Amino acid sequence: MTTLTKRVITKKPEVLAPAGTLEKLKTAIRYGADAVFIGGNAYGLRSRAGNFTYEEMAEGVAFAREYHAKVYVAANMVAHEGDTAGAGDFFRTLRDIGIDAVIVSDPALIEICAMEAEGLPIHLSTQASATNYETLNFWKSEGLERVVLAREVSMEEIKEIRQKTDVEIEAFIHGAMCISYSGRCTLSNHMADRDANRGGCTQSCRWKYGLFEMDEAAERTSLLGGGESGEIEEAFSMSAVDMAMIRHIPELVENGVDSLKIEGRMKSIHYVSTVANVYRQAIDAYCNDPDNYVFNEEWEDELWKVAQRELSSGFYYGIPSEEEQLFGKPRKIPAYSFIGQVLAYDEKTKIATIQQRNVFGQGDAIEFYGPGFTHFEQTIEEMWNEDDEPIDRAPNAMMTVKLRVLQPVRPYDMMRKQR
Amino acid sequence: MIELIATAESMGQAEKLLENVDTLYIGEDEFGLRLPFSFSRDEQKEMIGLAHDAGRKVTVALNALLHNDRIQAVLPYLEFLAEAGADAVTIGDPGVIHLMAQHGIHLPYLYDAQTMVTSASQVNFWAKRGAVGAVLARELTKEELLQIGRKAEVPVEVLVYGATCIHQSKRPLVQNYFNYVGEGASGQERTLFLSEPKKEDTHYSIYEDRNGTHIFATNDVSLAGQLDVLNEGGLLKWKLDGLFTKGDAFVRIAEQFNEAKKLLEAGQWTMDAAARLQKEIQLHHPVGRSLDEGFFVKNPEDIA
Repeated sequence: MTTLTKRVITKKPEVLAPAGTLEKLKTAIRYGADAVFIGGNAYGLRSRAGNFTYEEMAEGVAFAREYHAKVYVAANMVAHEGDTAGAGDFFRTLRDIGIDAVIVSDPALIEICAMEAEGLPIHLSTQASATNYETLNFWKSEGLERVVLAREVSMEEIKEIRQKTDVEIEAFIHGAMCISYSGRCTLSNHMADRDANRGGCTQSCRWKYGLFEMDEAAERTSLLGGGESGEIEEAFSMSAVDMAMIRHIPELVENGVDSLKIEGRMKSIHYVSTVANVYRQAIDAYCNDPDNYVFNEEWEDELWKVAQRELSSGFYYGIPSEEEQLFGKPRKIPAYSFIGQVLAYDEKTKIATIQQRNVFGQGDAIEFYGPGFTHFEQTIEEMWNEDDEPIDRAPNAMMTVKLRVLQPVRPYDMMRKQR
Repeated sequence: MIELIATAESMGQAEKLLENVDTLYIGEDEFGLRLPFSFSRDEQKEMIGLAHDAGRKVTVALNALLHNDRIQAVLPYLEFLAEAGADAVTIGDPGVIHLMAQHGIHLPYLYDAQTMVTSASQVNFWAKRGAVGAVLARELTKEELLQIGRKAEVPVEVLVYGATCIHQSKRPLVQNYFNYVGEGASGQERTLFLSEPKKEDTHYSIYEDRNGTHIFATNDVSLAGQLDVLNEGGLLKWKLDGLFTKGDAFVRIAEQFNEAKKLLEAGQWTMDAAARLQKEIQLHHPVGRSLDEGFFVKNPEDIA
């Protein structure tokens, strides 16, 4: 017997996507992100990621408002003496621009924000490694709106945390991971004079190291090579594979996670659009009819198209083993390259105008995708340059190309091809 | 007053250390990070009694990042420590501070979030929430330390001797590697080292315990030559970490620092005394482990 009312989950978790630039911000939101996180010109952890000026932030906020999306600013550096100068003005300006929250880890910056920019919500960064419910309760009592959990927290632990605290919970679901507890690694500081907690991480964990024993007489015995024959020439490394929680959306929703975070402010619009698109689909599908939810294999296939490393579920279901670390020769991923973005489409002629992002040409098997998880594949037959002259290749970066397409496309749809 | 704080690895070593240091720093692995030895509750109680009989103090390490299971288990431990008369605890997880407030447990605490404690305003944030002191990160230069010393509202602790942890992972990184290459060994021996690519003479200690994998800087720290700077700057809480310096060798080193303390307090510190101290420390420091002054001698602009 079926019930008369279908269960629907109305309190959907937020899809939170990274946005290194204004273009990425707009792309992420068009492709289904409920919120994006960006960096300002100071106090952040990605000194090399595109960071936003105040004007760009204002434009990003205005764009986000049209889609009822939110914009957060990461200000998660761990400050040294002198670093916090001007932080009060910075936070006040963000508040007045309409930024929805700041993501902070350093208590000194939390205090400045709370005292000097009243009304600007604060989220505790994963950099602070919050791993238990009392820590969340502490930060709630300090007035924080949300805590981003440490990536070391398991699904069982999230369930218990949800039961024992009512502060908002944000959890990482996709992207690259620190192999250490975030914030508790200064390999870069010691090996490269670059402060990992002030935006200088050199990813020293991914280097190849020697491993040896040293006895009390300082005699060294190398352990590299594994076994006396020394046949395995594998260096020691601490490189984590990436995270993908696409198969576990129901548990994340049922355990009351408020925000599902995708890592990667340095990543391309190809990456951000693809990943946001997939998680939007999965979350909508589950929340709209949780009791009849079926996992769609295409979602995972889609994620592999932009994957940069192997994928895993991190600490959600146990302590990661050697399987979740990169040893040996890296596999060649991603398998797809981003070749163009749709600028316009003419229904009568079925001709799409494309902005070239990578070389393509006649005979290439290509794929179009767009917001709402639309997809189709075709082979390129006819193409023209912007003066409507026939061409067989599109070699120049950002050149305008016209293509006859087999199905309708929309502006901001993307075009990719297999490598 | 300069306070010497030293780790202890046994009751016997503690007895000898108590002749030279003001405070013992001990604990158990379930709640404390990177200790030379994980003591039972009975031993901790005995250690506290021993120190108090000698007119000295005990600080207990409670600076681990705690997951749900341990945040539950920490409450009885806090009650035990309060009952046993521990003089202070180090705390790195705000959840513990919250618990103590909720349950009215009155144990003085030092804020100790390791690599994260890098400014006076951060220290003062915790001071306003009850911290009686803080343990500073090791990635701080002299200029920064002196500024923090001036601005911090509670005393701050500086590592003057011992190893610097530069990485903590919850993953068993050594075990994972051995599994990958098909070796049976575990990663728990404390005689393992990493070397940097193209820098074969580097030697970063690495080992695993219940808190995960820990990696240490290639050089241990000795600020023997900088003690007058610390003293004049009002940075008077000096930590000696004996994680890799065993038994009597560590006691000898503590003796040397105690000598230095006496000379400084008597206004008799000289360059010669500093050189003598440095030499003695080198003599008792484990062979193969090198010493330097770490971030103390770096330029703040060079490390940002």
